[in-house]
Amino acid sequence: MALFDNDFLTRLEYLSIVSRKVFRGQLMAQRRTKQLGGGIEFADHRQYTPGDDFRYLDWNLYARHDELLLKRFQEEEDLHVYLLLDCSRSMSTGEPPKFDLARQVTAALAYIALADLDRISVYAFANGVLNHFPLTRGKARILSLMQFLESLDADGGATDMAQFAEEFVIRAPRRGLALVLSDLYDPAGYRVGLDVLRHHKYEPHIVQFHHSAEANPKMLGDVELQDVENGDFRKLTVTESHLRSYRDVFQAFLTSVTEYCSAYGIGCTITDTNVTFDQLVLGMMRAAGTK
Amino acid sequence: MSFSNPAAFLWALLAVPVVIFYILKIRMRRIPVSTVMFWEQVYDEKQPRSVWQKLRHVASLLLQLLFLGLLVAAVADPFFDSDVREQRRVVVVLDTSASMQARSEDGNTCLAAAKTQIRRMVRALKPQDEMALIVAGGRPQVVCGLTGHQRTLHVHLDEAASTDGPTRVVEAVELGRRLLTDARNEQIVVISDGRFAGAAELAAEDQVVWSQVGASAANVGITRFQVRRSLLDPITYQILIEVGNFSDESVECSLDLRLGGKLLDVMPLKLGAGEIRADVLEETSVGGGVISAQIQREDELAADNSARAILPQRLKIPVTLVTAGNWFLQRVLEANDVVELTLVDEVPQNLPPGGILVLDQVLPEQIPQGNVFVVQPMAATDLWDVDGALAQPLVDKQDRSSDLMRHIRLDNILMPEARKLTPKVDFTALAESISGDPLYLQIPRTSGDVLVLSVNLDQGDLPLRTAFPIMLTNALSWFAEGKGELIPAVACGDSTDRRLSAGLQQAAAEHNNQLVLTAPDQSQRNIQVLDGHCTIGPLQQTGIWKLTADAGDDHIPNEELSAASAPALRIACNVADPQESDLRMPEAIKARQKLLSAGFGGRPIWFYLVIAAFLLTMIEWLLFQRRWVS
Repeated sequence: MALFDNDFLTRLEYLSIVSRKVFRGQLMAQRRTKQLGGGIEFADHRQYTPGDDFRYLDWNLYARHDELLLKRFQEEEDLHVYLLLDCSRSMSTGEPPKFDLARQVTAALAYIALADLDRISVYAFANGVLNHFPLTRGKARILSLMQFLESLDADGGATDMAQFAEEFVIRAPRRGLALVLSDLYDPAGYRVGLDVLRHHKYEPHIVQFHHSAEANPKMLGDVELQDVENGDFRKLTVTESHLRSYRDVFQAFLTSVTEYCSAYGIGCTITDTNVTFDQLVLGMMRAAGTK
Repeated sequence: MSFSNPAAFLWALLAVPVVIFYILKIRMRRIPVSTVMFWEQVYDEKQPRSVWQKLRHVASLLLQLLFLGLLVAAVADPFFDSDVREQRRVVVVLDTSASMQARSEDGNTCLAAAKTQIRRMVRALKPQDEMALIVAGGRPQVVCGLTGHQRTLHVHLDEAASTDGPTRVVEAVELGRRLLTDARNEQIVVISDGRFAGAAELAAEDQVVWSQVGASAANVGITRFQVRRSLLDPITYQILIEVGNFSDESVECSLDLRLGGKLLDVMPLKLGAGEIRADVLEETSVGGGVISAQIQREDELAADNSARAILPQRLKIPVTLVTAGNWFLQRVLEANDVVELTLVDEVPQNLPPGGILVLDQVLPEQIPQGNVFVVQPMAATDLWDVDGALAQPLVDKQDRSSDLMRHIRLDNILMPEARKLTPKVDFTALAESISGDPLYLQIPRTSGDVLVLSVNLDQGDLPLRTAFPIMLTNALSWFAEGKGELIPAVACGDSTDRRLSAGLQQAAAEHNNQLVLTAPDQSQRNIQVLDGHCTIGPLQQTGIWKLTADAGDDHIPNEELSAASAPALRIACNVADPQESDLRMPEAIKARQKLLSAGFGGRPIWFYLVIAAFLLTMIEWLLFQRRWVS
């Protein structure tokens, strides 16, 4: 079964309609940027400096206070939405693989953004930028995007979010919403990469994927675990006690993600692969709407 | 230490595949995971702290090898050399007499308690020991020869059933001595309730180890029960019954008597402590059957609460009276219930089978074949001559030993006249006159005996005396060869020799001189017939034993003794032994030696090796589980 079949497209259209009716402008598109520029909505004043355009001088204030002040307006421009898709090998695990759901969610979010006249770009990453779909706008580009997503494989090596973030901020100078779709299994820690995005004025939103075997493994006895990202082996004797400890550690990891996002006002969605993409996207929009 | 089966050590080669499988086993299952960073956190927190945890895989291998080693050693069957030097041979004598059926307070019989002791002894046998089992109920019998195979001993012990017979422990011990040859390390273990004469002396003997089971109990039992036909009256029979109260208190109960299942009488019994009471009852019946007595009281021994006896049936005797008219003779014969009388004027050519011909004054020249009773012979025949008459004969001699003269006295009877006979053949004078002439004589013939009474019945008072009908009854019984008079009941444990009826003899001849003996519990065995006789026994069960031609004839009810279409012989068997009925325990006999005890836990070494191997599997299982759940 193809990743983006007719059923997917149907559900995607339905999702777009629902998002416009119910959650219009609340998730990403049709928002004002924080940049000031040539819009029509007044923002504040600043001192005149030589060379400024006289058309923006506030002559009324000059008449009253004999002070040259320049009016500033909120600049209105298209929102740039960056979909950062984790293509490391760890995304290939699970049944169905996390990578499939991540690509479907990427396509769905991109479609909604394109329908809202926003610009989107997709970056495939692992220990750096592996591939990217350039900034584009218009719903007509969704098919090209889907072809791009279908061409991706989760074989990019180990996750290194810090390295990727450094490359990303150089490649994408325009600020915008940065949706990170990843399992966040970065041995060096996911925070460094997200901090880079934050520090470069991007608005990160995290979608963490995991499957049930990761949250609640069942293996017992003598096993040899193979890390699919770096190929390392680890011989273990797994007991019930170890399984309990593992579940605690994994839960602590998810909690740390939530707390990190909460601390910095970052949107966060944690999901396992048992949900469908439309359920997940609707959930994300509902969560954004309640804030 | 030696091994019975050293070749079993070849099984130790199984260690090679064990090691190979262990090496293969430690190649663990490879499971791909998204990341091991969480597992590293877990194991960084739970580092194996003890050396044991690090070595437990090696320990598992060692345990498996040790497990294999123990099993191999067990199969090799090790034994101590001392076991061979000190081989024990034990003969166990188990009392299976009737008294061993007595129940103790816990509800178990003495026999069950004895078997429990023997099972303990069997389990205590060392590998080289041997044991034999002899049962001593009725006839002593070796049910299991000397063997060290415990299962065989257990099987034969389970099959040893209680009998209703007497105790034969002393004979069984003698039999046991024949099995043992060397006094060293050999024992005869007697397990009994001690209720027999000579128990204390037996227990004191060398080589005998005594063990007493059971407890004292009160009992009322039938110690004798016989039935016989009356000697005076053809339809009357007498029942001899003896009941004993074997307790220290008086007992009141009742005893039911039944003939063929029909109640005859209910005897109230009041017996003092230790009293044994005998009664003789008289009843009348032409028919025969099984007479049973049942004490209506529950006690510890049920076998002696009932008894049975066979009452022979009075068969009708066809008697043909040839007379010109003898009122007394005719009336006497008609008054006899067992006589089927036919009156004729002339001597018939043939007699019915088993019939008796009575000739009154009418005589042919040649006495017919068969049983003939001649009264007042007026003429000479082929057997005698008549030389006139004897006037006023006085009886001088009378053969009191003959059954024909039983209960008869002729010396005081007035006899005015008799015929003077001169027998031509050998004869026996049953009564003689002073002159030596026979007045009543018996002439044996191969074709049938002849009795001759030469007294003139028309004169004198013989027909008026009681001697006359008794004489005729004796004659009829004698002609009938006394059949049906007495079929004695046999005491349990005894054997009996019986003469078979013509029907059974013919049936035996058709079956290769063998008949089928059916016990009260319906078990059957063949009995050899020799010269019309067969020896049956010893009978070990109370009840009615049946001797038939075919195994299928045992269905004939006990009550249908003569009406049965197939010939059969019934034998009643009763406990009839006051010693067995007396359940009061004699003074406890102290054993001089302890019962057989096992060394080293009473088990062979291989047993402990298997147990150790089993424990090792438990430990390995625990180690295995700890890898999963600890």
